[in-house]
Amino acid sequence: MVHSEERDIIFRLKGILEFACQLENPNGAQSQGTISKSFQGLRSKVSSKNIVLTVCNSPILIWPNTGFRSNVESLMEASSCGDILQYIESDDSGSKKSSKKKDKKKSGPTAVNMKLLFEVTEPAGNEAPSLIRVSTQQHCVKMPLPLDCVLSVSTDESLATVCTGLVEALNKQLADMEEVVLRYRKGSSFLVPQPFHFQLPEPAGFTTVIYPAGVPDSQLQAAREDLHRRFKLPSDRPYLRRANAFHFPDAAYKDGYLRNPHIHLNPPNIEDAKLYLVQGVYSYHHYMQDRVDDDGWGCAYRSLQTICSWFQQQGYVETAVPTHTQIQQALVDVGDKEPRFVGSRQWIGSIEVQAVLDQLLGVTSKIMFVSQGSELATKGRELANHFQTEGTPVMIGGGVLAHTILGVAWSENTGQIRFLILDPHYTGGEDLQTITDKGWCGWKGPEFWDQNAYYNLCLPQRPKTI
Amino acid sequence: MGRSYFVDEAVEEYLGGLQAAPGSCVTGLLAGQSSPQRDFVVLAVQTPHRESEGQPKASKGVSPLDDIDVEWVTEHAKQVSRMLPGGLCILGLFLVTPPELSKDAQNALKRLIFAMDKYITKGRLWELSEEDVTDRVTLHICSKTKKLVCKSFDVKDPKSSAKPADWKYQTGVSSSWPMLTCSVEVDLQIPVTGSSSDNTDKCMKDGLRRWAKQIEAACCLINGRQALDDSEFISGQKKNPKTTNRQTLPARIIVSDEQSELDERSSALVQVCSGSMKVRGVVHCRAYIHNNKPKARHAAQAIKRDIINTVCSRVEMFLEDLLINEGSQKGLCSGQQALPRRVFAPMPISGLSVCDYMFPDESTADVAERLKEMLDCETPEEGIDTSLESNQLFSAVSGSEITNSRDDDSNKHVISEIQDGTPKIQKAPQYYAGVAVAAAIALLATATSLLYFS
Repeated sequence: MVHSEERDIIFRLKGILEFACQLENPNGAQSQGTISKSFQGLRSKVSSKNIVLTVCNSPILIWPNTGFRSNVESLMEASSCGDILQYIESDDSGSKKSSKKKDKKKSGPTAVNMKLLFEVTEPAGNEAPSLIRVSTQQHCVKMPLPLDCVLSVSTDESLATVCTGLVEALNKQLADMEEVVLRYRKGSSFLVPQPFHFQLPEPAGFTTVIYPAGVPDSQLQAAREDLHRRFKLPSDRPYLRRANAFHFPDAAYKDGYLRNPHIHLNPPNIEDAKLYLVQGVYSYHHYMQDRVDDDGWGCAYRSLQTICSWFQQQGYVETAVPTHTQIQQALVDVGDKEPRFVGSRQWIGSIEVQAVLDQLLGVTSKIMFVSQGSELATKGRELANHFQTEGTPVMIGGGVLAHTILGVAWSENTGQIRFLILDPHYTGGEDLQTITDKGWCGWKGPEFWDQNAYYNLCLPQRPKTI
Repeated sequence: MGRSYFVDEAVEEYLGGLQAAPGSCVTGLLAGQSSPQRDFVVLAVQTPHRESEGQPKASKGVSPLDDIDVEWVTEHAKQVSRMLPGGLCILGLFLVTPPELSKDAQNALKRLIFAMDKYITKGRLWELSEEDVTDRVTLHICSKTKKLVCKSFDVKDPKSSAKPADWKYQTGVSSSWPMLTCSVEVDLQIPVTGSSSDNTDKCMKDGLRRWAKQIEAACCLINGRQALDDSEFISGQKKNPKTTNRQTLPARIIVSDEQSELDERSSALVQVCSGSMKVRGVVHCRAYIHNNKPKARHAAQAIKRDIINTVCSRVEMFLEDLLINEGSQKGLCSGQQALPRRVFAPMPISGLSVCDYMFPDESTADVAERLKEMLDCETPEEGIDTSLESNQLFSAVSGSEITNSRDDDSNKHVISEIQDGTPKIQKAPQYYAGVAVAAAIALLATATSLLYFS
């Protein structure tokens, strides 16, 4: 994907199509044919002139299969698809998209959400209705198919091309869904085929994969191995777990935690320095969240939560981020602490963090010991290597404080270094502006550390799995 | 604050021309359109004469008011409401009495109006919204003095009492009401569980209700613009009582398949069914909108309700006569049967159209007869428009599995096509005499069924 002056647009078309069929004998040989025929009917439906695409939060309606018709006169076949943006009412309180561009260093394409609709008027014929009755025993199967197609284009691509592309994508998705439905069907038990979008490295690029609902990632290993081969993906890290699905720029995270606040920061201005940052997505966990008042004692717990959120969102684990209690219980379970530890306000350190990561997530970690805070300035190479190969957030504890290191800016030549710190001691709300302005997530120099205290760093290692 | 009823002069003429036998009463319906501020009455029809079994009418001591056949009045109301296109509905009742009965007339009207509303709204597939007017008008006319007493009742509240209302005559009340039209493709697949006829009815109702919700939630375009808000519905024509040009506005309905109750499932919903029913075809719909500052979404609502009503009415009519025909055997027959098709005819003077439903073996002469009986108006057969919905074509039924795709050419053999000129089935002489209209259709449908199941 070439990022030019023109921002790219991702068109996302969603809609529900009801799949319905009647099977006399679900286990019989004929049922596959019947199912395929129903899917064929759905493919005809999306290729028919009755489908209507609407752009969410706008008055735009487009009939893509009738030689392009739209209810907005100025939008025509040859119009560039970027013209659509002006008709969309943004939900944000007051701020329009153009001012957002100036604000923060935020890259990424614009997402345009569309919905799939069907016109029931303007029919081909005018034959009055009939009632058709079938009186044989049969299994009536009804399943809503959650269509979700994505098309990534540059803003000057024509609307006609975009629409044709989306209709093609719908057809292909129905074919893929048919395959998944047939593969995982057992008699009259059908699993809903769900689309997931992934931004994969080239040559695959933006890809959509259909997974059967209700089958956990752990049981889809073979399917993933096959896809890794097909898309030429490395076989030691997950790309296609459900958690790895592409997060659309405009979609809010339902849990309310901030994701990757560091991307809104400007990198420090050091001559000759390279950036080595955390890879992927983590959530910012800090004091007072989840109605737990851990002010003064919970900082290491919060750093650990941030690390756990990273493993969850990269698809390594399906378990939720642990609570303070669950963390404490894990330490009791491994014999590291007495049972009365649970419910206490006792601090933990890097060693405990390592133990919990192992116990709850099956993740191993390396421990780095630094006898004086001043020595941290010399650890540039190790940290750079860590972020390059593992790319996981690092928990650092020492003095009386714990923090999370999200990256370093390090010059191999001059040795100058800055640390990207995520501070768990923040007690406020999930306000990105405050967090970045006041440095709760920010770049710090070597003087940030207590020069005389000793520090332990916990560097979590990625499991080699897909 | 009473309601104001603006009544077309044609209604005044009709009411003035009513003949009541001395000492007896005449009941009838009033139809038109309600809007939040005022109501418009465009049609009055007296209850058709029901031939009694020959017993003496009123024995001593029984007032003619008590003799009013409430069932017959409400049945007439239901039949007429099926004949009204969208936007129009039965707004109330009138009662002509001799002077000595005038003081009891109000009670009679109250009984009638509540009974009528209850009967008409039974089985309706759409819910009233907050803004729907639930006042119904009762008009009492003294046969001697011709004095009018007009009141309204809120039929939503069984305890409501009569409120005073204004009755004003005007010319051309509906002459420039725009007409919305559309043809809607219906393609419903309804599974049938259980085998009794009650089950079939319930399944059909459930299936239709789900479809009706989809239509209600659909996006509606009128004349190319989305009609979803409180903006004024601009019909583009200034109100001019002199012109007889009525604007026709095409409406377009766009639905989504969203079914939120199925959203959270991870597997398909599978039911073991004893069969299934499909309703397939195109229905032609119309709705009228008054031109007293109507809102866009009310216009959309009117056409959507007509769409829902027309499908519901046809299915009801079909199942009603099926029940009489097949009785408990219903549900065991397979095959394709034509639902009655909709035809339109002009209402006298106002120029609004009314509709009727024609079973396949009927002709326009039958429709004209029904219009005469139900709406008390003469309609020339040429005036009845049967072109909007065409006759059904029949596909071959292969074994027990009907293909989903209508476009599958290999399966479509036209084995019988009902022509317009089919010789009229001789009606049984009881057609008009004291039998509910539904049963009359049943007799015709029996012949129809025999034709299809041969």
